Amino acid sequence: MSKTSELKEFLIHRDRTSDRVLFHPILMQLAAQLNHNTYEEFMTDYRVLVEANVKCLEIMGHDAVGLISDPFRETSAFGGKVRFSGNNNPVCEPIISDIHDLEHLKNPDVYKSERTSDRINAAKYYKKILGDEVPVIGWIEGPLAEAADLAGVNNILLSILMEPDFVRRLMEICVITAKEFACAQVEADCLVIGIGDALCSQIDPETYISYILPLHQQIIDFVHSQGAFIKLHICGNIIQLLPHLALTGTDILDLDWMVDFETARKQCGDEIILCGNLDPVSCIKEQTPEKISECSRKLMNDQKGTRFILSGGCEIPRDTALENIMAMKTPLNM
Amino acid sequence: MTELLERIAHCIEFGKINKASSYPPDMKGQDGADECTKAALDQGVPANDILQKGLVPGMQKVGIKFRENKIFVPQVLMSAKAMSTAMVHLKPFFQSGEVIRKGKFVIGTVAGDLHDIGKNLVSMMVEGAGWEVIDLGVDVSVDRFIKAVEENPMCVVGLSAMLTTTMVNMGTIVSSIKAKYPNQKVIIGGAPLNKDFCSEIGADFYSPDPQGAIEYIDNLV
Repeated sequence: MSKTSELKEFLIHRDRTSDRVLFHPILMQLAAQLNHNTYEEFMTDYRVLVEANVKCLEIMGHDAVGLISDPFRETSAFGGKVRFSGNNNPVCEPIISDIHDLEHLKNPDVYKSERTSDRINAAKYYKKILGDEVPVIGWIEGPLAEAADLAGVNNILLSILMEPDFVRRLMEICVITAKEFACAQVEADCLVIGIGDALCSQIDPETYISYILPLHQQIIDFVHSQGAFIKLHICGNIIQLLPHLALTGTDILDLDWMVDFETARKQCGDEIILCGNLDPVSCIKEQTPEKISECSRKLMNDQKGTRFILSGGCEIPRDTALENIMAMKTPLNM
Repeated sequence: MTELLERIAHCIEFGKINKASSYPPDMKGQDGADECTKAALDQGVPANDILQKGLVPGMQKVGIKFRENKIFVPQVLMSAKAMSTAMVHLKPFFQSGEVIRKGKFVIGTVAGDLHDIGKNLVSMMVEGAGWEVIDLGVDVSVDRFIKAVEENPMCVVGLSAMLTTTMVNMGTIVSSIKAKYPNQKVIIGGAPLNKDFCSEIGADFYSPDPQGAIEYIDNLV
């Protein structure tokens, strides 16, 4: 059975555990580094992104590859000017200040905009190289994250209390593009679409329920209707949101390292796949291979008999030793 | 007088900026930190009392509720905005020396890192705890931190980093500051950090939340 079929079976049969524990590390800067590319090259050229990820796949033997690269694909398509600089993180100044600016904000054509079409091309290039053997996880920005990319984090977090209509309307525009971008990636054969909505970890449950949850449900229902699955990724501590995140309909919920798995399972129920959550820095990057294997083994033992995927809590950082990642995997072979 | 100071603390705690502000909904139409602070000054309440018995207790409650996950970043930002509005009225008294602050706190996001939300939260809450804050902004070089220490003797330095790729720059900054000023207190914070990293780079304190940083620097006074 191919890895694609294996993951698909696991996703479809919501009452079953997987025959073996699957391994889905989030790789971006480290993949670029291992392929001797700069992070800028990884973000701006789909061939580099795919070849770097495929190289990691050959070394690490994980169970899915990804299209994740940086937060500014959609922002760029909306008109944001992204500045790249070698291995540094990209920068993009906000292009929206207030509700009046929304009149001029047009939903882009994701096939024509340079950075969104680059990701779609990456999905097609994966297909060309890997065929149906390995599942591809596409990526879109969630509505709150994209609104913050377009209007600034502080502005959005204040406005959600002060000018909720502005944030609501901006997020509605973002959702249209999120769905179109997801659809394009599904058409390019992505089995799963990842939604990155990190900023949600910084808001209270009431705000999440009122403003974000309906939009997450809308995107997820749409992706499901296109025949693909969803992995919801919110960096940071999401303990306050757990019961509500279960209502989104997501198939996979990523848990960052500070979220207690047992609590998450109790709050989210048995059907959702929980993915995570070794600490990417203090464990995977900084510990000895023996200690990393021990942490990984403990997590796997604790999750035995549950719907679980092994991963770091978030991206595995640049400069992480390869032996450390292999150590994370060691218990999978026992 | 006490009632007015309690009212100011309440406005800070719940992020009520002024009468026109629609937030929080259950205080709609009521005076906010702006009006209450002005009224207190008009009634002759000493500016230092407004800071120490109004703003500081209000912000302290915010810090504790934030640490306990009872409120989140948007609510803290609203409280900080309410506090800034009140501070405008107190500014002349800072300059005249009538309001005494606990000390100076120099803060910046380290070189290579452009994230400012964590740094801003700490900055606003430390100011609300009665400290003068010198915010160096983001992407701050070693030289700028050292210059700020030179210009602000007896200050406490706070370093922020959001990224695993930039947290390593904290080590260089801490060692450079300590090489020139061995007794200089340097505290660190940011999503990828922990106590072990703090010890490794020779910083004096790591806090996972703003309130922890405030409690540490308050104890230095």
